[in-house]
Amino acid sequence: MKFITALKTALGMAPGCEQVNEFLAEYVEGTLDEKMRAQFQEHMDMCKCCDHYLDQYRHTIQLTKETDEISVPSELAEHTLAFLRKSNAFASDQDAASS
Amino acid sequence: MEPTQNTNPASPDAPSDRGDLVTTTAEGAKGPISLEALMAGDEKAFEQLVIQESPRLFRVIVRIVGDDDEAASILQETFLQAFQRINTFRRESKLTTWLYAIGINLARASLRKSRRLSSLEDQEVERMQPDFNRGMFVETPAVWDPARVTELADRRQLVRRGIEQLPEDYKTVLVLRDIEEYSTEEVANMLGISSGAVRVRLHRARGALRKLLDPHMRRLPKD
Repeated sequence: MKFITALKTALGMAPGCEQVNEFLAEYVEGTLDEKMRAQFQEHMDMCKCCDHYLDQYRHTIQLTKETDEISVPSELAEHTLAFLRKSNAFASDQDAASS
Repeated sequence: MEPTQNTNPASPDAPSDRGDLVTTTAEGAKGPISLEALMAGDEKAFEQLVIQESPRLFRVIVRIVGDDDEAASILQETFLQAFQRINTFRRESKLTTWLYAIGINLARASLRKSRRLSSLEDQEVERMQPDFNRGMFVETPAVWDPARVTELADRRQLVRRGIEQLPEDYKTVLVLRDIEEYSTEEVANMLGISSGAVRVRLHRARGALRKLLDPHMRRLPKD
């Protein structure tokens, strides 16, 4: 990290790695307010640690999104409806059964 | 022709207003599921709801309990409870949020009962977050190899196993936010926790998963 950024962080004038990390999800989602985002960006541009961590964090989110597809049984909804009918959940089924 | 089911909330056809639902019929024509009809106990409307929401809710439940048969059974119980309790829906959230809350609660109860618990404890998730000294990183995080991230043959299995290891509270938030892409507010409503708690759990879950993936994704030293 460049000296000036480190100095500003030490003096509490700019966020440090821990604070940046605490709000990383908001930073990634772009929900930080403009001033905070600019401060974080300045820190990221100068800090190799945060830059590497951000890269890992983004890849983790991407890999999570691409994880194994869950295959859904083709008869899933039909079996659920059959279960509901068998459980007498539907009044008309009860009527039909009793008539 | 099989019915096409609209289960993606990000799609333009996804329900946008609280309680409003849109389904696609076997003929491909879209028709609304009337919330009033559901609330009045209309069985046809409820059948439409089952057809529309089963695939996505099943995927969420499978990711929580880790077992297809158990998930199918929980799905059935979810719809049974929803049908029996539909008049308790207060319209303070989307109907699907209310429905998913029932399913997720049943999935969590099943997980506790079966003792098929995650291998990581909450405290371990805490320890898997980066260490700081005076607000700065103690160690420089490694550089991940982009080729390994995108091409490692078993990366999907690694991620799935990593997610399975997370404590249930963290896993559920990660699945709902990062895989199913529900909003923070929707997840908060489903789980009955604050939006802030969702954000904290999500961040820690990502941090713990990152730690588990780190050894596999690092750039290998050149010979």
